[in-house]
Amino acid sequence: MLEARAVTKIYETRGVETVALRDVTLTIEAGEFTALAGPSGSGKTTLLNLYGALDVPTRGEILLEGEALHGLSPSELAQRRLQKLGFIFQAYNLIPVLSARENVEFVMELQGVRPAERKERAMGVLGEVGLGDLADKRPLEMSGGQQQRVAVARAIVSEPRVVLADEPTANLDSRTAEGLLDLMHEMNRRHGVTFLFSTHDPMVIEKSQRRVRLRDGQIVADESLAA
Amino acid sequence: MIEALRSLFLASTWRMAWRNVGRNPRRTGIIGSAISIGVGATIFAMAINFGMIFGMVRAAIDTELGHVQVHGIGFEKKPGLEISLDPSRIEEARIEELPGLTGWARRVRHEGLVSSPRAAVGVRVVGVEPGREASVTQIATSIVEGSFLGSERRRVVMGARLARRLKVKPGDKVVVSAQDLAGDLTGEAFRVAGLFETSSRELDESAVYLALDEAQEMLGLGEAISELVLRTTEGADPEALALQLSERLGDGAEVRTWEEMRPTLVAMVAMFDQIGWVLYAAVFVAMAFGIANVLMMSLYERIREVGIMMAIGMRPGRMVAAMLAESILLTTVGVGLGLLIGLGGAELLSEGIDFSRWSDGLTGYGIPTKIIPSVRTGDLRDPVVIAVITAILASLWPALRAARIQPADAIRHV
Repeated sequence: MLEARAVTKIYETRGVETVALRDVTLTIEAGEFTALAGPSGSGKTTLLNLYGALDVPTRGEILLEGEALHGLSPSELAQRRLQKLGFIFQAYNLIPVLSARENVEFVMELQGVRPAERKERAMGVLGEVGLGDLADKRPLEMSGGQQQRVAVARAIVSEPRVVLADEPTANLDSRTAEGLLDLMHEMNRRHGVTFLFSTHDPMVIEKSQRRVRLRDGQIVADESLAA
Repeated sequence: MIEALRSLFLASTWRMAWRNVGRNPRRTGIIGSAISIGVGATIFAMAINFGMIFGMVRAAIDTELGHVQVHGIGFEKKPGLEISLDPSRIEEARIEELPGLTGWARRVRHEGLVSSPRAAVGVRVVGVEPGREASVTQIATSIVEGSFLGSERRRVVMGARLARRLKVKPGDKVVVSAQDLAGDLTGEAFRVAGLFETSSRELDESAVYLALDEAQEMLGLGEAISELVLRTTEGADPEALALQLSERLGDGAEVRTWEEMRPTLVAMVAMFDQIGWVLYAAVFVAMAFGIANVLMMSLYERIREVGIMMAIGMRPGRMVAAMLAESILLTTVGVGLGLLIGLGGAELLSEGIDFSRWSDGLTGYGIPTKIIPSVRTGDLRDPVVIAVITAILASLWPALRAARIQPADAIRHV
C-alpha cells in the first residue's frame, strides 16, 4: 500500500543541514492501524508527509500502491492525494469559511462529484461521526473535538485507501481523544480504511495494532500486535 | 492554466472567494473604499470634463453650425459672394425628404461693417430665413432683449456685446454696409429688433442677422445663397446625412459635418478621452498595488489553510482561480460602488453646474456657463473592463505564490 524505500530527508535552513530521516525503509499494508511513535524531532511527521506526497525525499523513494511518487508534477501529486489519501492534521484542520458539511463536501467537489450526491454523502458521514445536527455550523462554532470529527468525516468521505493523521489528538482532552480514536478504529474495522498516525500520545500508541518507533530519523522498533 | 480557467466557472470557487473577502471586513472595506473612491472620482471628473466639451459642441451646433453645412466649392477656404449655391439645384435635391432631418435653412454669409452714431464694428453679416433658422439654431431663442426677426422689414438682430460696443438697443437704427457681388460698396439702414446672448463670445461680438431676401438684395445676389444649414434628429449620424446630401447635390457643392468644420472640437473630445485614460491609469495602478498587497497579506494569514487545501487535493490551478476570484470580487464591489458614486454625483448635478461667474472667460472659448455632467456608456464600460483586467493582473503574483506553496511547509505554520 505505502512503501518508503531507503528514504532520507534533509532540511536546509540558512546553509545548515538537518537530517530528519536517515535511510528509512517501511511498508504499510492495506487495512493496518499503525502509529509512528517517537519524541519530537524523531522524524515521524516528516515520514508521514513523505507518504502523503506533501513533501519529497532527498534520497530514496516513496511508492503509493506500487506507483513511485518521485518525478510527479505538483498537479499530479495533488491528484494522487485527492484520489487515494485522506488527511487529518493536528489542529486548524478545517476551512473556516465553510460549514461542517461544506468542509466534508469540499474533497468530493475537487473530485468532481455532483452536488446532490456530495450533499447526501457528506450528511451520511457526518451522521456516522455523530455530527449530523451540526452540519451547518462553521468550525469556529464547534469545539476542538467536534472539529476533529469533521476532519475525520472529510478524510474518509471520499473512501481513500489510506488516512494519514498527524497528531490528531494533540489538542484534545483525553476523553474527546479517546472518542475520536474509537471512531477511527470503527472506520478501520467497518470500512477497512488504512490509518497511519504520527503521534506521541500513549493512548493512540496503545490502541494501534502496529507501532513503529522512530528516534533521530531512524526506525528503532516495529512491533505488530496480534489482531 | 486550464485548471484555473475551469475553476473560475465553479460556483464554489466564487462562494469561497466571497466568504474570504468578507472575512476581514476592515481590510476589505479599506481597499474597497480606495477603489470605489478612485473610480467614482474619475468617472465624476470625466463627466464634468465631457459635460464641458459636449456643451461646447452643442453650443457650436446650436448657435451657428447645425449638424451639416453645404457651401459652394472653395467657400470654406476663401469665403466670398462669388462662391454661391444654385437655388435650383437645392430645389431639385428635395432636402426636406431626407431621413433624420429636423430642419434646414438657407443663409447668406458675408463680411461687412455695422455702424451706429457712436461706433463702427467689423462684423459677419448673415442673411437668414427667420422661420427656418429657428429650426436649425437657437439664435431665435437666445434673444434677451427685443425680439427675433419677423415679418417687419429692415430689421437686424445682433449680440448684446456688439450692441454694447455700438451703444445701441432695440429700436435704434444702424447701418450695415458691405461690398456687393459686383465689388461695389453698398449699405442699408436697419432698425435693431433684438439682442441675443449665446455661449460664444465671438458670435455675440461680431454677428449681425438680417432677413435672407434683404441680404440677397443688398449684396446683389439675386436668388443665390452662401450656405445651407441642416440639423438632424437627436442621435442620428450627421455623416450619413452628409453622404446622402452629397449624392443628391452632386458636384459643385461641398457638404461637411460639424466635425469637419470644427476639427478642434473633435480633437478636444479625443484629448479628453486621453486624459481619462491617464486618470484611469493612475487609479488602477494604485489599485493594483493595493489588491496585490491585500491578497499577499491574506495569503500569509491563511497559509496553513492553503496548505491544508492543497494537502487534501486542491490542485495549483484551482488555487490560482481562488485568488483570482477574490481579487475580481473585491474589485467588482469597489468598482460597483465607484460607479454609484460617479453616477450619483453626476445625477445630483444633472441640472447643471452654474459657472456664470466666469462667463467672460468661458464664453471666450465657446464654453457654456452652465455645465451639465455627461456620462457616456463607454465611460462606465471602460473602467469596469480595465478594473477586471487590473484585478486579474494584480492577483497573478499572489496567486502564483499560493500555487507554488509546498503543502508540508504551509501546514507547519500556526
